[in-house]
Amino acid sequence: MSKTLTFNAAALATLGLALGSCQPNIEDNHPAATAGAADFTSYVAVGNSLTSGYADGGLYNAGIRVSYPAILAQQFAKTERGPANFVQPLFDESKKDGSGYLKLVNSFPTTGPNAGATVAAPTQPTPANMFLGEQLAVNFPIVSLPGGNQLAAYTGSQPDNLGVPGISVLSSVSALTGGLAPFGYINPFFERLLPASERFTKDYVTYIGQKNATFFTCWLGSNDVLTYATNGATNAPDPVSGTVNPFGDLTDTTRFGAGYRAILRTMTRNGTVKGAAANIPNVTNIPYFTTVTVGAVAASFKAINPASPGVFIQTSSATAPVRLATSADLLTLTAQGYIAAVVAAGGTAPGSLPTSPLPNKYVLDASEVSAVTARTTQLNVIIAKTARQYKVALADMSAYFTNLAAQGVVTDGVSNSATFATGNLFSLDGVHPTPRGYALIANEWIRNINAYYGATIPTVAPNDYRGVLFP
Amino acid sequence: MQVKSLLFAGGALLAGASTAAASGFQVNLGGQKNIGMGGVGVALSLDNAAMFYNPGALAMVRGNGVQVGANAAIARNSFRAESGTGDQRQLDNTLVTPVNFYAAFGPKEGKWKIGIGAYTPFGSELHYNKQWEGRYSLTDINLRSVFGQLTGSYAITDKLSIGAGLVVLAYGDVDLQKDIPIESQAGAPTPHITLHGKAEQKLGYNAGIYFKPSEKLSVGVSYRSQIDAEIKNGDVRLRDVIASTGGKFTATNFSATLPLPATASIGFAVMPNEKLIVSLDANYVFWNKYRTLDFAFSGNNGYGGTGSNAVPGLVGGSTTSSAKRYYQDALCFRLGGQYMATKELAVRVGGFYDFSAVKDGYVSPETPDADRIGLSAGFTYTFAERFGVDASFLYEDFMKRSQTQADLLDNGTTDRVAGTYKTRIFVPGIGLFVKF
Repeated sequence: MSKTLTFNAAALATLGLALGSCQPNIEDNHPAATAGAADFTSYVAVGNSLTSGYADGGLYNAGIRVSYPAILAQQFAKTERGPANFVQPLFDESKKDGSGYLKLVNSFPTTGPNAGATVAAPTQPTPANMFLGEQLAVNFPIVSLPGGNQLAAYTGSQPDNLGVPGISVLSSVSALTGGLAPFGYINPFFERLLPASERFTKDYVTYIGQKNATFFTCWLGSNDVLTYATNGATNAPDPVSGTVNPFGDLTDTTRFGAGYRAILRTMTRNGTVKGAAANIPNVTNIPYFTTVTVGAVAASFKAINPASPGVFIQTSSATAPVRLATSADLLTLTAQGYIAAVVAAGGTAPGSLPTSPLPNKYVLDASEVSAVTARTTQLNVIIAKTARQYKVALADMSAYFTNLAAQGVVTDGVSNSATFATGNLFSLDGVHPTPRGYALIANEWIRNINAYYGATIPTVAPNDYRGVLFP
Repeated sequence: MQVKSLLFAGGALLAGASTAAASGFQVNLGGQKNIGMGGVGVALSLDNAAMFYNPGALAMVRGNGVQVGANAAIARNSFRAESGTGDQRQLDNTLVTPVNFYAAFGPKEGKWKIGIGAYTPFGSELHYNKQWEGRYSLTDINLRSVFGQLTGSYAITDKLSIGAGLVVLAYGDVDLQKDIPIESQAGAPTPHITLHGKAEQKLGYNAGIYFKPSEKLSVGVSYRSQIDAEIKNGDVRLRDVIASTGGKFTATNFSATLPLPATASIGFAVMPNEKLIVSLDANYVFWNKYRTLDFAFSGNNGYGGTGSNAVPGLVGGSTTSSAKRYYQDALCFRLGGQYMATKELAVRVGGFYDFSAVKDGYVSPETPDADRIGLSAGFTYTFAERFGVDASFLYEDFMKRSQTQADLLDNGTTDRVAGTYKTRIFVPGIGLFVKF
C-alpha cells in the first residue's frame, strides 16, 4: 500500500507541474491590426461638437479624452501606420471642466410620491450651486461672446482633433456668408483655439487647411439642421443680447454644397489624401425631442385640471399660430423645466391654456419635423455625392443612429438605448452621446474605414466607456 | 472558473441530480472505478457505485462493502470576447472536490441487497476576472449539492436483477453574482448583486434492469427521474447600489426553479475472458425541459422610499427576470475497459464523447458548454482481498466554441456575451473501499 501511495503522490506532483501550462489558448481568427490602403501616420479629425467630445451640455477634458477621434487614433495606432501621437485641445488641468457640464444631482423629498427615495435631476453648474464643484475654464471677469462665455485660450500647437462645438458647414466658410460674423468671434470654442490676431479673420476651412493630414475624418453638417431644430425651429433673437444667430436657420442646399465641397477639397488636397466622411443623423429621434412628450405633459395638466383638453402650442403656421398639440409634435427636453419654472414663479403653466401656449422654441411641430427631416435628407445626398467625388469612405451615421434610436444596442450583456439618462447612450443634454455612445460611433467609423480601405483596425469594447453617471 | 462540467448552471441549482453525465451541467463522477473507464457503468457490477449508474446491478455486486471516493476537478477555462481588444481572459482557477460514498448490505449469496449512497454531483465554482467582458452577465457562480440515495435491488434470477432508488436532494445551494451596469459619479465600485439561496429538499428516483445472459455478456438499462430544484425565499444581496437608482433595486428575496432533467441510459459489456471487460454506454439526457431560467423577486429593502412611487420587489426595475436556455436533449457515448493485470491490480482506460446540451448562440457564462471528449485511466490495488484503493484520472477537452453578437441578436440571447470559450478539465481522483 505504501508503494501505491508513493506512486500516487509522485503522479499528482507531476500532474501539478503539468497543469501549470495547461491553460487552453484561443489563437485563431485574431487578425493583426493593419492599415490596409490607408496611412494613419498623421490623423486629423474635422467636425463639430460630436467630434470634439462635447457631452452633458459642455466641453470638458474627461469628454475630450474619450472623443471618437481620440478612440480612433488609439486604434489606428495599433496598425503598422498609426499616428505617433494625437493632439487634443485639452483645457489646463486646473480648469479641466472647461465650459462646465450638467450633472445629475440628488434631492431627498420627504413628502409626495417619492418620499424617502433619492431622486436625481440634471443640474446646470451655476454660482448658486458653487458650479457643482467643477473647475471651469470660463474667463473672469466674464467676457460674453454671442455664442457663450469666453473660455481660457488653448496655447498648444494646433490640435489634431479639430472638432469645434457649434460649427456648421455654413459657418466654416466665410465666403458663404459674405464674410459676415466670423465664427472665431462668435463661438467661444473656436475662439479659444485661434491666436487673438486671427479670431476675426480666419474661417474654419482655412484653419483646418493648415494641417498636413495623411488621413482625416470629417463629420460636419449636423448644426446646419440641429441648431434650428433644437430651438424649436425658430431663430428668434437672443432674449438677453438681442442678437440673432446668423447660422441658426436650416442651411440651404446651395450653400451647403459649396461649403461641403470646399471642406473635402481642402482636407483631401483635391482628392489625394485619404479619409472618411460621415453624414447627418436624424435629429428628431434623439432624447432631446423624445423625452418630454405631449402625452406626458397633457397628463400632468389633467392631473391638476381634469377638464384640461391638452397642451396648447405655438407653431410657425400663420393660419393656426396656436393649436392643441398632437403626438406628432415634439417638445424639447428643456420644455419641462421651463413649464416648471413658470409655475414655480406663480405663473400659469405654459401650454395649459390657449392664451398661454407653450412657446415655439420649445416645440418642434409636425410640419417643422418634416422640414428638418427633409432638409437632412437633402444634405445627406450632397455629403454622399461629395464623398464619392473626393474618393473618401462614407459612414452612414444617419442609418446607424436611426437604428440605434429604434432598437438600442446591446454591448456585452448590457442593454443600451436612446432613452434619456437611463439608456446610457446619450448624455444629459439629450443631444450628445455619452463616452459609451462615442465608443460605438468610433466602432462604426472603424467598420466603414476597414471596409473601404481594406484595413483591419480593431474595434473597442463599448462597456469600457462609461454611460451616464448617477449620484 | 471552472468548469463546467461540473457545473453549470444558471442559476441553477442543482443540477447534479441528474447524474448521468452528459453535457449541460451534469457530472459523471459517480464512482472511481467507473471514472477510470470513461464513465461506463450501466452494464457493470464492479462495486457499490452501481446504485448510481444502474441500481438494477447492485444485487449482482459481490459481497457487502463500504467505499468512498474523492476527486479534485481542476478546470482551465479561457475566453476571448468578440468586442474590444480580443485579449484572452483566463478564469480564476478554483478546485472543486466532488466526493462519493456508498455502502451496501445483503445476505451472503442472497438475492437482494440494499444500499445507501451520497454524492456531490456538482460542487462547482466559476470565478471570472473582475473586469471580464461578461461581468454584467455573470461574475461568479458557486453551486453545491449533496444527494442521498436509498437503493434496493433484487436478483430475480442469477441472470436478471432489478433495482430502484429513492433519491433525495438533501442539500443544495447556489450563489450567483454579477455586476449591475450602472455607474456612479463618485467613482464608487460598480453595483453588484448576489443571489444566494438554498434549494428545497426534493425527492426523485432511479431504476434499472441488469441482465447477464452469459459469462461473456451483460446489458443494462437505467433511468433517473427529473427533479425540479426549487429555491424559495433566496436572498437578494445588493452591494454599492447608487442612491438615485435605489428605487429600481428594492427586492430582498427571490425564487427560482431549475429542472434537473431525466436521464435514460443503456449499456453493453463483453467479457472475452476472465480478465478483461469492455463496456459501451449511451446516455440520453432530456435537457429540453430546461427552457428558461426565471427569477421572481419580492420583498422591500426600503431603497424606493415610502411614497406612492415606491415599488417593492424590483431588481433593475423589474420584479422578474427570464433568460432563455432552450437546451436540447443531449447524447453521450462512452467506452471503457478493465484488465486484471494481477489478482491485486486492475487497470482501466476509457473515453467518451459528449454532445453539448446548449445550442449554438445560447452559450452563457455559467455553463460554457460545448461538445467534449473525455479520456480517462485508472487502477485499483487490492490488499488482503478486503481493502483496496482506487485511483482515477480524467481529462476532458471541450471543443472551442464561438458565438457572435449577431448570433445572440438572432436568438434574443443578448443577455450573455459574444466570444470564444475553451475549457479543459483535469480530474484526478482517489477512492478507498473495504469489503466484508
